[in-house]
Amino acid sequence: MLTISDLVVRYGAAVALDRVSLRVEREEMVALVGPNGAGKSSIVNAVSGVIPIASGTIALSGRAAQVPEGRQMFADMTVEDNLRLGAWAVKDRDVAPIYELLPDLARLRKRLSGTLSGGQQQMVAVGRALMANPDILLIDELSLGLAPLVVADLAAHLRTLNHEKGTTILLIEQEVGLAFELCERAYVLEAGRIVASGTSDELRSDPSLRDAYFGRDAESGSGPSAGEKR
Amino acid sequence: MNKWMRFALIGVLAVVAAVLPLFLPDLTFYVQMVLAAVVVTGLALFMGYAGQASLGQGAFVAAGALTVAVTTVQLQWPPLLALVCAPLVAAGFAFVVGLPLLRLRGHYLAFGTLALLLIVQTLMSTIPFLGGGLGIGGIPALGVGELVISDQLGYAYLALAALAVTLLVSRNLVRSRFGRAVRALAGSESAAESAGVDVVRTKLGIFSIAAGFAGLAGGISAFFIPYVSGESFPAVVSFTYVIMAVIGGLGTLWGGVVGAVLVSLLAQVLTTVSASPGLPTTAGPILQYAAYAAVLILALIFLPRGILPSVSSALTRRRAPR
Amino acid sequence: MNDIIIYLVSGLAIGCAFALVGSGFVVVHRVTRVVNFTQGTLAVFGAMISYSLLAQGLPHGLAEALAVLATGAIGLLFGLIALSRRGTPPLISLMITLGLSIFSAAVIILVWGQDPLSPPGLPGSVSIAGASIETQRLLVAVVAVVVFVGLWLFFDHSYAGKGLTAAASNPRAAALVGINVRRMGLVSFAIAGVLGGIAGVLIAPSNAMSFSSDLPLALSGFAAAVFGGLTSLWKTLIGGLVLGVAGQLVAGYLVGSYQTVIALVMMLVLMIARHRSLAVEEAK
Repeated sequence: MLTISDLVVRYGAAVALDRVSLRVEREEMVALVGPNGAGKSSIVNAVSGVIPIASGTIALSGRAAQVPEGRQMFADMTVEDNLRLGAWAVKDRDVAPIYELLPDLARLRKRLSGTLSGGQQQMVAVGRALMANPDILLIDELSLGLAPLVVADLAAHLRTLNHEKGTTILLIEQEVGLAFELCERAYVLEAGRIVASGTSDELRSDPSLRDAYFGRDAESGSGPSAGEKR
Repeated sequence: MNKWMRFALIGVLAVVAAVLPLFLPDLTFYVQMVLAAVVVTGLALFMGYAGQASLGQGAFVAAGALTVAVTTVQLQWPPLLALVCAPLVAAGFAFVVGLPLLRLRGHYLAFGTLALLLIVQTLMSTIPFLGGGLGIGGIPALGVGELVISDQLGYAYLALAALAVTLLVSRNLVRSRFGRAVRALAGSESAAESAGVDVVRTKLGIFSIAAGFAGLAGGISAFFIPYVSGESFPAVVSFTYVIMAVIGGLGTLWGGVVGAVLVSLLAQVLTTVSASPGLPTTAGPILQYAAYAAVLILALIFLPRGILPSVSSALTRRRAPR
Repeated sequence: MNDIIIYLVSGLAIGCAFALVGSGFVVVHRVTRVVNFTQGTLAVFGAMISYSLLAQGLPHGLAEALAVLATGAIGLLFGLIALSRRGTPPLISLMITLGLSIFSAAVIILVWGQDPLSPPGLPGSVSIAGASIETQRLLVAVVAVVVFVGLWLFFDHSYAGKGLTAAASNPRAAALVGINVRRMGLVSFAIAGVLGGIAGVLIAPSNAMSFSSDLPLALSGFAAAVFGGLTSLWKTLIGGLVLGVAGQLVAGYLVGSYQTVIALVMMLVLMIARHRSLAVEEAK
């Protein structure tokens, strides 16, 4: 579905990604974890085509849509307009399927997206990405700034999307507990390099990784650890 | 470049500048170029450090010129006193106007200063005391008692002296505590504010000082071309000041001089070219406008920091590997 | 009583032109954050080109339409130059458009000379409320209203218009959904070109234009746009009308040459009074 090989991304003289390789198969939910500034956003921005790549390849079979970090609403526009704009690149602008999937959005459709709460905006961002009818959903920092209950609700929606509709998901997450709970496989990125990969169980129980990247909360599967390092 | 090289370069330039007027048949171009350098030095400081654009700096040149014209012709003051008052009036005018005006930023300030220029022009064309529709003529020559500057050469050296004073004042300003405050402004106004810089007073200060320089240039030009009217300060000239500042290099001490010299030389070349046989008489302004504009656009796109900073960083880069 | 109606009508007509020029400022600024100094120049081009086409014998309607299309293309060209480098600060882009307006003045002198020109407008007049109003001025009002309604429909009710608004609102998110933000910027410049051209074509029959007419038009248009905080089209229309009428009343009852001063002072007062809210808009 998505295969990244030896991807190199530079910002000026600084190297953001240094020969990163990863793959996501159809209908998988894969996580990318790592500390702040590791370069996680650069990966999805490269896949979305909004930043240039220095070298390496990105092989994508199908369409990708991004749920960006910080929600990135069109703040002065209504929820419905935000959603419909998600379909800019595709022909079908029908919002009904999204309202079916996320009924709360139907209730908020005429509200200006700038006036919504963080959790509501996140839902709009997900809905907007889904309007493009993507084969893979790239989600950048789902839980950032959101209360745990809200995050749990969103996570449930994502699980439904993946299990019932087969949407492939690549989840960038600082909150490691959430990442391992939702996704069966994960990669660990640090300073632009993949330092570990495997199933969530494998990674969760590796003591060296745990100390370096995950903190003690990784095993419990939830909690607001932000990938703390020693 | 190191201190001695810089002194040597400035020394050479000063000698050339002082000797050149002795060889030129007509000094109008020379004087206007040097006076433009005075105006633009102040403007480059304001634009570079305050990070704002003033599209109507001519308003302060006019204030200086008008001070000289009105005081010598209408009020019969001695010329030297009038000249001393010119920069003071211009700076005072800038201060008073700047109190409300400098609350604007970015393009609002740019348009605001342009509006100020046009208002000044209109006032000069309508109020009789300021010249009415006819302007003020018959400004006496500058001098003290019997000693009078009556020829172009005198005014050329006067203009050079003014430029030297301007550069000296600017240099000391930049190195002073006030100068540090101004440079802090250029980085970020809110950061400067939290560092304790009085943003309003600092902006007002640099605005008034730049206006003072402009007023000095205006005052001298009123003696040099003894006629002042609303039409002496068209918007296009104020735009040219901005062009000179941008090309020379904003926020640098010598950027004003570099920009004024380069653009004035360009204008002179074009005037000569357009006077050659075979070209229509309207070719002059056309070529000038087109060339100014093209140079400005290209400079803004490819050298947005101006020539001086780009050249000096190129020179620094080449030295770096040592 | 007759006098007031005449001033009102001519004020509204020129106010419509200010509003159209101002709407060009608003469109470009909303999408690109750039203040397009060539708005006045585009109006002058519109007037000049329609003058030439009419002189060539093209019928009314066709000549003006072609002139407006041409100014749209010129606007697009200006956009290509002003937006050529990514990440140019808006103040630098303003100065690039300043340079473009100076260059255009040279072109206008080259092609049309230095004297003011005035193309023929619609002849005749209509009687309203006992006063005789030139048909041309009525046309200005009608066209301006149609244009503003069209702009409203476009930006608030069409998908493409919403795409433009989105590009302005959040360029990053816009790029992610596939909106080409740079292309939207160019489209906004082309629209501004059309709007400027319409303004020029409409008022040139009543007010002769030359290479130097761009500055007062740009200033008045900008003043109208400031009324709308450089974002609201309807407020720009109101601002333009107020400025136009105020200017005509001043010219008629006071001294004629103070017309520009009034507009400028009004603009200054407005900008300074609203400077905080204007700054907030910028920061968004």
